Amino acid sequence: MKKKLNRYAWFCILLVSIGIKAQETESLIQSKLDGTVIDAVTKEPIIGASVNIKGTKLGVVTDLDGKFIFQTAQKFPYTVIVSYLGYKKSEVIVNTNSVVIDLTQEQNVLSEVVVTALGITKEKKSLGYTTQALKGKDLSDTKETNFMNSLTGKLAGVRITNSQGDMGSSRIIIRGETSIAGNNQPLFVVDGVPVDNSQLNFGGATRDFKNAVADLNPQDIETLTVLKGPNAAALYGSRAAHGVVLITTKSGKNQKGLGISFSSGITLSQVATLPSFQNSFGQGSNGKFSYVDGKGGGVNDGVDESWGPKLDGRLIPQFYSNGEAVPFVAHPNNVKDFFNTGFTFDNSISVAKSDDKSDFRLGVNNQKQTGTVPNSEVNKTNFTINTNYQISKNIKIGLTGNYIVTDAPALPGGPSGNRAAGVMLQFLWFGRQVDINQLRNNRDVNWNNSYYSNPYWNAYYNTTSQQRNRLIGDVHLDAKIADGLNFKFRTGVDYYNDRRKYEIKYGTNGTPFGSYAEDAYTVNEQNTEGIFTYTKKINDFSLDALAGFNIRNHSDANNYQKAPRLAVPDLYTLTNSRDALTSSNSYSKLRVYSAYASAQLGYKNYAYLNLTARNDWSSTLPSSNRSFFYPSVNGSLVLSEALNLKSNTLDFLKLRGGWSEVGNDADPYQLATVYNFQTAFDGNPIQTSSQKKLNENLKPEKTRSTELGIESSFWKNRLHFDVAYYNTNSFDQILEIKTTTASGYNSQLINAGKINNHGIEIQLDGNPIQIEDFKWNVGVNYSRNISKVEILDYDKKIKNYTIGSSGGVDVLASVGQAYGALYGTAYLRDASGNIVVGANGLPKADSQKKVLGHYTPDYLAGITNTLTYKNLELSFLVDASVGGEIFSGTNRTGTYTGVLAETLPGRDAANGGLNYYVTTTGTTNTKTLVSGGNAPSGAVIYDDGMIFKGVYADGTPNTSVLSAQEYYKASYNISEAYIYSSTFVKLREIKLAYNFNKKFARKLGLDGASITAVGRNLLFIYKDVPNIDPETAFNTGNAQGLESLSLPTTRNFSLNVNLKF
Amino acid sequence: MLKKIAYITLFALTFSSCSDTLDDINKNPNATETPLAPYLLTGTLKQGADLYWGDVNNFNSSLLFVQHWAKIQYTEPDRYDVSNASFTSLWNTGYATLITDLNTILNFSDQQANSNYKGIALTLRSWTFLLLTDAYGNIPYKEAGLKVTPTYNTQKEVYTGLLEDLKQAQSLLSLTNGVVAGDVAYKGDISKWKKLVNSLRLRIALRISDKEPAIAKQAAIDATSDAAGLISNNNDTFKFTYASSPQQNPASAWFETRDDFRISKTLVDKLNELSDPRLPVYAQLPSDASVGKYVGGANGLSNSDANSQGFAKTSKPGKYFLTSTSPAVIVSYSETLFNLSEAVARGYIAGNAELLYKDAITASLNQFGITDSATISNYLNQATVKYDATNYAKSIGTQKWIAFYGQGLDAFVEWRRLDYPVLTAGPATVLDGKIPSRFFYPGTEQSLNGTSYQNAVTAQGKDLLTTKLWFDAK
Repeated sequence: MKKKLNRYAWFCILLVSIGIKAQETESLIQSKLDGTVIDAVTKEPIIGASVNIKGTKLGVVTDLDGKFIFQTAQKFPYTVIVSYLGYKKSEVIVNTNSVVIDLTQEQNVLSEVVVTALGITKEKKSLGYTTQALKGKDLSDTKETNFMNSLTGKLAGVRITNSQGDMGSSRIIIRGETSIAGNNQPLFVVDGVPVDNSQLNFGGATRDFKNAVADLNPQDIETLTVLKGPNAAALYGSRAAHGVVLITTKSGKNQKGLGISFSSGITLSQVATLPSFQNSFGQGSNGKFSYVDGKGGGVNDGVDESWGPKLDGRLIPQFYSNGEAVPFVAHPNNVKDFFNTGFTFDNSISVAKSDDKSDFRLGVNNQKQTGTVPNSEVNKTNFTINTNYQISKNIKIGLTGNYIVTDAPALPGGPSGNRAAGVMLQFLWFGRQVDINQLRNNRDVNWNNSYYSNPYWNAYYNTTSQQRNRLIGDVHLDAKIADGLNFKFRTGVDYYNDRRKYEIKYGTNGTPFGSYAEDAYTVNEQNTEGIFTYTKKINDFSLDALAGFNIRNHSDANNYQKAPRLAVPDLYTLTNSRDALTSSNSYSKLRVYSAYASAQLGYKNYAYLNLTARNDWSSTLPSSNRSFFYPSVNGSLVLSEALNLKSNTLDFLKLRGGWSEVGNDADPYQLATVYNFQTAFDGNPIQTSSQKKLNENLKPEKTRSTELGIESSFWKNRLHFDVAYYNTNSFDQILEIKTTTASGYNSQLINAGKINNHGIEIQLDGNPIQIEDFKWNVGVNYSRNISKVEILDYDKKIKNYTIGSSGGVDVLASVGQAYGALYGTAYLRDASGNIVVGANGLPKADSQKKVLGHYTPDYLAGITNTLTYKNLELSFLVDASVGGEIFSGTNRTGTYTGVLAETLPGRDAANGGLNYYVTTTGTTNTKTLVSGGNAPSGAVIYDDGMIFKGVYADGTPNTSVLSAQEYYKASYNISEAYIYSSTFVKLREIKLAYNFNKKFARKLGLDGASITAVGRNLLFIYKDVPNIDPETAFNTGNAQGLESLSLPTTRNFSLNVNLKF
Repeated sequence: MLKKIAYITLFALTFSSCSDTLDDINKNPNATETPLAPYLLTGTLKQGADLYWGDVNNFNSSLLFVQHWAKIQYTEPDRYDVSNASFTSLWNTGYATLITDLNTILNFSDQQANSNYKGIALTLRSWTFLLLTDAYGNIPYKEAGLKVTPTYNTQKEVYTGLLEDLKQAQSLLSLTNGVVAGDVAYKGDISKWKKLVNSLRLRIALRISDKEPAIAKQAAIDATSDAAGLISNNNDTFKFTYASSPQQNPASAWFETRDDFRISKTLVDKLNELSDPRLPVYAQLPSDASVGKYVGGANGLSNSDANSQGFAKTSKPGKYFLTSTSPAVIVSYSETLFNLSEAVARGYIAGNAELLYKDAITASLNQFGITDSATISNYLNQATVKYDATNYAKSIGTQKWIAFYGQGLDAFVEWRRLDYPVLTAGPATVLDGKIPSRFFYPGTEQSLNGTSYQNAVTAQGKDLLTTKLWFDAK
């Protein structure tokens, strides 16, 4: 502490010396003024406020105590003007040597400034569209390792889907899916540099690799602004159709004197949504089990299902007992105990400073996460720099840089059915009697040797590592050319290498020789832009115009090599291979030239007209269609000013509206059909159709959007609301449409399709209670999006577009339906809706597939309550997603295998099972219900009889008895059985923060300090689907609504300390 | 200063826009727009063999239906508890890979591919269409590869169309028409391709014999009177011989990592009954040495019943089929002889049906390495094996079924046509005691080619496994 104090003293000297420098500019000392600037409410000193004497060039800045001194020739009384960011400017007439000046926080909607497209700040009232912003603190406090998750529930119209587990990717969608086939996620722009947000190789991957934008460190984010849809984002051109997320990182601006911030956090994660298992019956089949070799040598010991004997302690040889019969008992937590408590340690430090010529901020952040899956680990380090320098009176240059090193030695075993890596795959087949401790202690043994290796073997030996090195940065220049005319130039880059190494150990079940693969990506996104801006005010009119150009180059490359079978164990090199390596590589590149202009005309600060125009020339389109132009227009009218409606009740009323069109180009190389090479056979090269018919006449996609809105505030801003309605039509979509393969191709690329999205967004913000030290703030957001796929191909031959498939269910864009229809096998039903069963009592499948639901929710809502008492702040966020369906592979598999609690009813008499006996004629077994003691003497009576609720083909009720095992397996191939509502209400976040008052902080040698405790994903207030988190998804693509053996999501608790020196 | 900035900007602009044009940038560096005939040929042979011999169409479906193999784990397919997502690969790979690649060769200019390439392509395309129609029934044929939503043709149209296609293939193939590279099946021996063409024509002739005897007879005459002849020894057999991993035999690859198939009890019982010398080739002794004899797994059992037969107490398929270089036999000499025998029995062509029948069995025994003449004649002279002239379908059906071991799709179609041997559905099967008579159309046809699909179903009967196909409906 002493050391800190010393350092603090040193800072003071530095600061004072700057102050002395300022004082030296005036030689005549006649009057002395000692002043203090404080916050009118908290009475805390305000550091760095500018204090000027009106009518002079004299100015100073308040120090760490909020104090300032004037020793000037100026005679009392004179007026000082005090200003500070976020506070109302104050003018005070001084007549004495000492003064205390109160500053009140700015709460005026009229002068609120927001960041708009191309990073240009504008008065919010002048805009004809909605934007919504979050402060960096809202993101950094939550300590989510993928910062996108911390947006959930906080922004109207923004849907975040966290794919799975605690190290996974997240998908963000603004105002619904507007593209049938393409990427629907917004463009991310960091300090003017468009950054890549790919999720590379999510299709064939056995791991869920984090989407690329998750690399950003929330500690570095000053504000995050969402431009919702084309109206707000038109100037970004091709990539604006799905909205833009603008991120402004912290800079040294406004940091008077050297500021050091330190932040440290720890987060604990627990698995939150594990399936609930039954614990009455163990591994086996037909009630029988005895272990010999785990692959069929014993009684049903190759069976990895839990249809075995009762877990009543009977003596049965098990996998660890060397043939000795040991008690067969349940291990209810055998899956839960596999998972660890995850820890994330997050430390960052930043240094910032500014003076009249320059400013800078340097930051380092290190994050170390050990996951809930054993051995999973991700480390990430960010280095950031943000600096500006005034090189001459009119020219300022600057640089931003963010260097990110992500190093994950082992990612958790991910999605779907990979036997060597999938975590939940094995656990949904896991014998309920298996003692996980026996497996933990000896990775060489396993409970089943037909299909799996020991889960710890998989976690520790069959690893996938990822290393990503990334540089995001730009150099920029601002020049003042003439009064009102400025020029900005920027060239920015986002460049990264992403290398994955896949190791499968020799001796792994299913991969007896092991394997090794390396997969490397290089992504390079470069943008160079120049913008002229011009502002002019003539009487009541104002003009704010810009014109600019952009050159975008994007390239990515991939190189994959695999040794399919290792020659010797435990050596992971590509040369250690029994076979020829399998390898592939690809390279892609595109360039877009753009020119754009916009103008804002204002009248009397209450009426605004905004026009934008942009033309793009893209390399990915044929030369005849390469150039495409799109305009937008929007306007805003502040009625409260224009009609002078302002009253004690009404503070502000604004109407806004706009129309826009944006175009979109294609991916590279979509014009000419190609043939691919496959691994040569015995010296003979192989070529084969790519199965994709491309299109040499592609046109750009178009999205047209109309938006209307109203914004108002009442009772001195105690209540503020904003309602937006939008209607978006996307057409000429570039669609790789699935065709029957009988057409010769699996898919064909066409310009087609029309999809409509319309919806409403409501934001409400109010302060029901606001008394001296206590404030209660409620923020509500609600959004409803309705989508309809209107046309696929213009010939109207194609009715469905397959977005993705899993477990027999297709996700379709189906004409006349909402986007994302879940299409699969349904039960065969009679005219009155009863399920039809066969003579054997098993339900029949309808040979016609049906639409079983839609993954897109009806509406989303979030409520944040924030209670502030003095320096203590408590907030909690509840969010809901209502409507929509999900197909759950976890429930499907777990029902089939008899591990889920849902499979307990009917399994014995105690659980309501019916008594029956079996008669065998030839090879046919017939089950007959025992009713009234009619069983033939000597017959074995079973008590696990169940009858599927349904009717025979002739309409009579089903009376055929099934064993419970048959019953629960009967619907495995009927997708309808595993479709659930994905509605949920979650207690997403509780946050408790304490900001130490500055005086107290000073005593500790600090400039400021706060402690925050956050709980995330705390509990489901409501959900329909059992055993999984309905938010989970496969990946960040468009094929949502399919869940397949996903890793459980986590509940997180974190504690953060922020210190400022 | 501003001037300097202007220069820098100008420099930056010229620097970033380089000299390459937007067209150059969009030239695909990853794949070619102009493939080569030999490479496409190797590709179709390999992919065709994988399709015919792989799990989905062979050992996880048709080979179970004909009770050559049985499942001892995950018995759903063996109980016919499958869906319209189960039989998609024959359709998808058949059309979008094989037929498309072969059409590419057929559409080549004479400089890109000589007429022998085209003759081979047309032969292989006919074989692919034949597999498709045998399994599904009515299929897109005339409009396949030409329209986005092609209509389906009836089986009659397909089979008769294929006879014409093969006639044309025969005329394209000539020893003087140039060298063919990339032919990993016949090593460029055009005379063997010509024999294969005629053998396929004979196969199709018999396929339609119950429905269109006149066309069938003419086709049989055409096929057997062509100067090029038919497959005339085991070296002429059309097969694809696999190499080492990762290009090993698909069944061998499967058994490397999984253990859920056994040889069927039905087949083992039959071979035992006939004291068939092929049994030790077709099956392995159970791993539990105490069993000491070949034991098949029963078809169509519930998982638990299948399981309780014991993994160690039942026989896996023979090593002959499970080594990495095991061939995928596609059109065999033995089959051709059985076909000749039947053509004679049906009176289509002249000859000695019984002799041809015996030759066919002998060819099969030779194919599986049994060459000892005493063993062969002992086998042939058994009453149970002898040719029954009063019921040629029974004799030929039974022996052809045995000879087709491993060729699931062809065993399946000939079993349906000849109705021998008589097979019984297993106890836990779900088709009311019936065995499938076809594959489901891929479920995607309903969504992607709905109108054509509906028309086909209306014409042919419901899209069920038990719907009998045109050639089969006697």
